[in-house]
Amino acid sequence: MKQFGKLLSYLGIAFLTLSISILLILLVGSSVTQAFSSFLSGIFGSFYSVSEVMVKATPLILTGLGVAVGSRSGFINIGAEGQLYMGAIAVTFIAFWLNDLPAIVMIPLVILGGFVFGGIWSVIPGFLKVRFGISEVITTLMFNYIALSIVGILVRTWLKDPASSLPMSAFLPDGATLPTLISTTRLHAGLLVALISVVLVWLVVWKTPTGYEMRAVGLNPRASKCSGISVYKNIILSSLISGGLAGIAGVCEVSGLHHKLLEGISPGYGYIAIIVALLGKNHPVGVVISALGIAALQVGSLGMQRMAGVPTSISSIIMGVVVLLILARKSLFRRLLTDE
Amino acid sequence: MDSGFIALVTMYLVASVRMATPLILAGLGEAVSEKAGILNIGVEAIMLSGAFFSFIVAFFTGNLFLGLLTGIVGGVLVSMIHAVLSIHCKANQTIAGLALNFMVMGLTSFLFLIVFGQTTTIPSCTMFGDIKIPLLSSIPIIGPALFNQNVFVYLALIGIILTAIFFYKTEWGINLHAVGEHPQAANSAGLNVFAIRYFACFINGVLGGLGGASITLGQLGFFMENVTSGRGYIALVAVILGRRNPIGIFAAAMVIGFSQALQYNLQTLGFPIPTQVFTMFPYLVAVIVLFLSIGKSIDPSALGIPFERNKR
Repeated sequence: MKQFGKLLSYLGIAFLTLSISILLILLVGSSVTQAFSSFLSGIFGSFYSVSEVMVKATPLILTGLGVAVGSRSGFINIGAEGQLYMGAIAVTFIAFWLNDLPAIVMIPLVILGGFVFGGIWSVIPGFLKVRFGISEVITTLMFNYIALSIVGILVRTWLKDPASSLPMSAFLPDGATLPTLISTTRLHAGLLVALISVVLVWLVVWKTPTGYEMRAVGLNPRASKCSGISVYKNIILSSLISGGLAGIAGVCEVSGLHHKLLEGISPGYGYIAIIVALLGKNHPVGVVISALGIAALQVGSLGMQRMAGVPTSISSIIMGVVVLLILARKSLFRRLLTDE
Repeated sequence: MDSGFIALVTMYLVASVRMATPLILAGLGEAVSEKAGILNIGVEAIMLSGAFFSFIVAFFTGNLFLGLLTGIVGGVLVSMIHAVLSIHCKANQTIAGLALNFMVMGLTSFLFLIVFGQTTTIPSCTMFGDIKIPLLSSIPIIGPALFNQNVFVYLALIGIILTAIFFYKTEWGINLHAVGEHPQAANSAGLNVFAIRYFACFINGVLGGLGGASITLGQLGFFMENVTSGRGYIALVAVILGRRNPIGIFAAAMVIGFSQALQYNLQTLGFPIPTQVFTMFPYLVAVIVLFLSIGKSIDPSALGIPFERNKR
């Protein structure tokens, strides 16, 4: 009965979200059927559009996975955006510094570099949290802006492409670019990196004693401490992995998609990552599904704008509404969820 | 000191106060909310909503005062959603704030597009003019900066004084502290924790909405997608820098306002240093302040933790 009520409550959320979307579409004065058909054809209409969903999902999987690992141990990481940019800086820096390395050495090196840079950007707030009790919510948020500014400074000074007047770096050397998986699309090997990371995170966090300790700390830090699990060590470790994964997302965006460092590589992936992790219930498989879902929502809303004239900002509204409803679920559907 | 230098200082001070005003207003609101234990990352959403609704009403009625009031209502609406989620539903306050940012950001640009369509000319409305306070405004340097400004600056200054009195000189202020520091004890002492927290969120909405309105009706005279461009997050930084003390928030907002004013000026002068150096400045200072405050507990103990009456 309880399981059934839970299912019904999620169906209720889906129904409410759908109603709000229909309302918004009617508000624009567009036909609902046309809007929905253009939404679907925007996603599944062509081979290219499906591949675009994968392209958008790649950074969302990695950053979402990072946020999920953090949440599991009680580290609320709002800073995936900044960590992503730190990873992007790492790959650009390493690629130009060791520019003649072959891809087989270079690619693992830049991924490692991105992991370390992103990880450092997240371990500092993690350290401040466990050692001094400073809220990671605020520090990670501030670190986002600092990272963004660093990128802004770098692409105008040391990493600037002298041949261009725009604030961006030169193209990465060939050895540092991730191969495109299917020609004629933008789909790159970053997706494979993301999926491998999903498997690795699942193995480490769910199948090893270390991962067990990390999750225990998240569930009840005091009980963990009493049974000899170090809260300090585990939060440091999970914040490192959390930021490192976001850093890898930055590496994939730069070396897989843009092939150069510029300011706008992330349209808020680091913030959407928090929604991805929430919808995916902080589980690797859930993260992949919700990342694909949100990527599809964004790609589909582009189609909806093109063919039905509904502004793309509808995807942002839907994301916000879904999360708010999920947060309110237990109160909204109290009748369904308590045993009668 | 020659007159040229004084003129320069005056000019920067005037610009800094203008830039700081939305941050002071929103920052004061957030400080009240955080004192009561509600951490609202959605200040950006509150401000954006205030900016949007104040502009829409001012544009169509031509009545700026009505616009200002609607801006407040817009801010309160958003902050009350956050309040219900974090107080009644006991949800994660950080995620609720973040979701509100997404929703309001989408909703305001969506509605703006519906109302005005895709236009090349940005629709604009009249703005609040500067009100010169006799005598006080003729004080050198601080006179023009503090006493020859628009209504929002005065509201912010009055807000600082009122919040300071409220925090440190009234019983209500003590109750607010109690609810944020130890809600269980406050509850045992007969305080209505829920009501006080709702009240704090309401104040946050009012001041945040005003802060948003001050951007559209006091600084720009128009609205565009994401017009607040992260000012809500900067207001959060001002609250941290100012340690939730109204005077501290004022000082922090002024430092941030000054670095913004400097940034715009250097940009127009074509100075060779990237402006991001100045954008980064307030955040770096905030991190350093956090480092310096290590060892002293500065956050309200119950910040971000929902209160449940029957739990210990």
